[in-house]
Amino acid sequence: MNFAGIFTEYGGIFFGSLGVALAVLMSGIGSAKGLGLVGEAAAGLIIEEPEKFGKSLILQLIPGTQGLYGFVIGLLAINQLSVSMALSQGVYIFVSCLPIAFVGWKSAIFQGRVAAAGITILAKNEEQTTKGIVFAVMVETYALLAFVISLILLTSLSF
Amino acid sequence: MAIVKMSKFSLFIMEEDKERLLEILQKFKYIHFVNLQDQQTFMPAATAETYGEETLTKLEEEIQKVSFSIQVLSKFAAKQTGLQRFKEGTETVDIDDLAKKAADVDFPKVYKIIRENVDKKERIDGEINQLTEQMTELEPWLPLDMSMESMTSWKNCAVLTGSVPKRFLSKVEQDLADDALSSCRVISEDDRYVYIIAMTHQTEAGRIQEILLRNGFTNIDLKFSGTPEEEMSSLTERIQNLQDERRKADIKIKEISRVLPGLELLYDYLFLIKTRVLAANNFLRTNRLNMIAGYLPLELTGKFSQVISKELGEHYYLNITEARENDPEVPVLLNNSKYFQPFESITKMYALPKYGEIDPTPLFSVFYWLFFGMMVGDAGYGLLLLIICYIILKVFNLSEKQRNFIQLFYFMSFSIILWGIVYGSFFGDLLSFPSFITPTEEYSLLLVLSMSIGVIHIFFALGIQGYMDLKKGNMFDAICNTGFWYMALGGGIFYLLSFFIPVLHTGKNISLAIMLAGMAGILVTGGRNSKSAGGKIAGGLYRLYGISGYVGDFVSYSRLMALGLASAFIAQAINLMVAMLSGLGFIGIILGIAVFIAGQGFNIFLSLLSSYVHNLRLTYVEFFGKFYEGGGKAFQVFRSQSKYINIK
Repeated sequence: MNFAGIFTEYGGIFFGSLGVALAVLMSGIGSAKGLGLVGEAAAGLIIEEPEKFGKSLILQLIPGTQGLYGFVIGLLAINQLSVSMALSQGVYIFVSCLPIAFVGWKSAIFQGRVAAAGITILAKNEEQTTKGIVFAVMVETYALLAFVISLILLTSLSF
Repeated sequence: MAIVKMSKFSLFIMEEDKERLLEILQKFKYIHFVNLQDQQTFMPAATAETYGEETLTKLEEEIQKVSFSIQVLSKFAAKQTGLQRFKEGTETVDIDDLAKKAADVDFPKVYKIIRENVDKKERIDGEINQLTEQMTELEPWLPLDMSMESMTSWKNCAVLTGSVPKRFLSKVEQDLADDALSSCRVISEDDRYVYIIAMTHQTEAGRIQEILLRNGFTNIDLKFSGTPEEEMSSLTERIQNLQDERRKADIKIKEISRVLPGLELLYDYLFLIKTRVLAANNFLRTNRLNMIAGYLPLELTGKFSQVISKELGEHYYLNITEARENDPEVPVLLNNSKYFQPFESITKMYALPKYGEIDPTPLFSVFYWLFFGMMVGDAGYGLLLLIICYIILKVFNLSEKQRNFIQLFYFMSFSIILWGIVYGSFFGDLLSFPSFITPTEEYSLLLVLSMSIGVIHIFFALGIQGYMDLKKGNMFDAICNTGFWYMALGGGIFYLLSFFIPVLHTGKNISLAIMLAGMAGILVTGGRNSKSAGGKIAGGLYRLYGISGYVGDFVSYSRLMALGLASAFIAQAINLMVAMLSGLGFIGIILGIAVFIAGQGFNIFLSLLSSYVHNLRLTYVEFFGKFYEGGGKAFQVFRSQSKYINIK
């Protein structure tokens, strides 16, 4: 079997699983980085005011959702994988995973930065912390939109 | 509506009545003072000096002392567990009893005991430190079994004690070896030094010392009479005695730690007095007279004049008028029915309404409730939340703020259950029952539903703007701000739909006409408040451009569907993992249960958090953005923020 033959036979599962991996991987990396950013800022605050742990945990959690969206998309895509799937279907799954992979990755990092700034609000003016949370959630809108599109792409066509 | 109607009052009283009156007014609570200090033109004779500076300093000193005592005592008071503390909550004290209760504590005596014992402990700690240091210094000399007294009493013999760096030891021994009249003995050694004792004849002392010093010798004077071991045990004993004394001081503090609740009450009471003194700085005053101005709720004015006349007899002048609607100085107090009250915190977080504006709380809360359930959408989660909130509300003694917060989630749990039934979801797919919409399959229907709800939400917000314009009597504004937008958006939506839904096809051209008319109206009237012709044109164009923002607004409601889907899918993923684990036998089942509890718990927390905040966004950006200005001043009740007790 030559390369072209292998490609047409296994290209489907190759691209499909690549899509799954990317969706989970990139949004996961983004979320981990976002959580890390906020966690670092929060740790500094806890030295002086350990009683603010609960609220800082909420702020830290906010960039974590992108990883979950990627995970859900990955899980849905896995259900459609099969060894003998057509190349076109594999590529379609791959492309379906791209929105949440990229937007999830970057938006989690940016959201992490906003949430880390929210830690400053928590440190200096605890009453207004929810506003910091709202700022951070604004960023999430785009991750949500990407998630919706990935989801619709994945489930709207059947091969 | 839900903004409390206010009255403005001005009151003239005699200086000698002031303190008595302030106390009465503080009991009255609902008084908001206006600072008159910058309006001296009212009373040219008024003095500018601040009132009660001395009293204030004294009070602050006293508060400092009480706060210090509380800090000391709280280390000794019987600790309550977190749950117990929540259950009992903070004590509620009536303001009339507060002064009497605060006087129950003999604070000067308590403070004296605390101060004395704390000082004593500090002194003891210092001494113990010193003694421990001495012990470490003595350590190397322990093998020496001669008393110091005997060594210093020799007539012809001089004794030198001290340390030499280890590497010089051989040199010292060498140098002293050829000296017949002296001897050197190593007592002990540690990492870097050896501790030696050198003996020599009196006449040689100077020379020997010189030899030693050349080799890095440091003289250590052993200033005691017995043997090092005796000295050591005497030091240990002294430390023990000091520790006993320290314990006694602790016991003394502990004995009075039962007055802690009294001190906490006293602390809040002193703060109340401080507020009173500070309030007086708002007044304009001469040597005999005080002018006070402020606001109070309209419905309390009768009671207010009664209280004043009862207290002051005839020595006052009071003038009360109803506050003007468009006065920006009027403070705002919200008063909603118990179903809407928990939502007030959401309004306040954005901004209080201006006096004369509308209180948006009851208006957004219904939508907030509806959206919340849609974004969580799981009957099991809702049921769990309902049970938890119910128990907390019944069992725990919460502060008003905490109560409102829990109440909010209690209300939300019903919405969550309702939508859970619509979605046919119970802890994901744990229980299957027939659903009206299956979100994981009919997401496009859900998307349309979300957008439609969004359209209603936004149209409702525009309607409120129109209502407010009408209330002010601006019919024209109502048409421009609301009517044209209704036409443009409604016509546009209908026109777009007519492409997809054949039934609407007949209305296609009419809706297009309505939309264009609306847009034309916006274009023409959008810049009506500008003076120049250019401003009018630019304003109209800018307003019309705002229509693109509405597209974004409608899309924003897709989060209603997306968050519901995300929480549903995550719940299902957890159940999938549990199913896989439970196939592995007994250990698998145990692990499965753990994964189920942790995973679902995490998902519940995450869904509630994101629903709460994403809902805030829809309320603040999409809804409030259409009509709500806000920026009102908060009504400051004449009380202080109490820390330990609730003052009624």
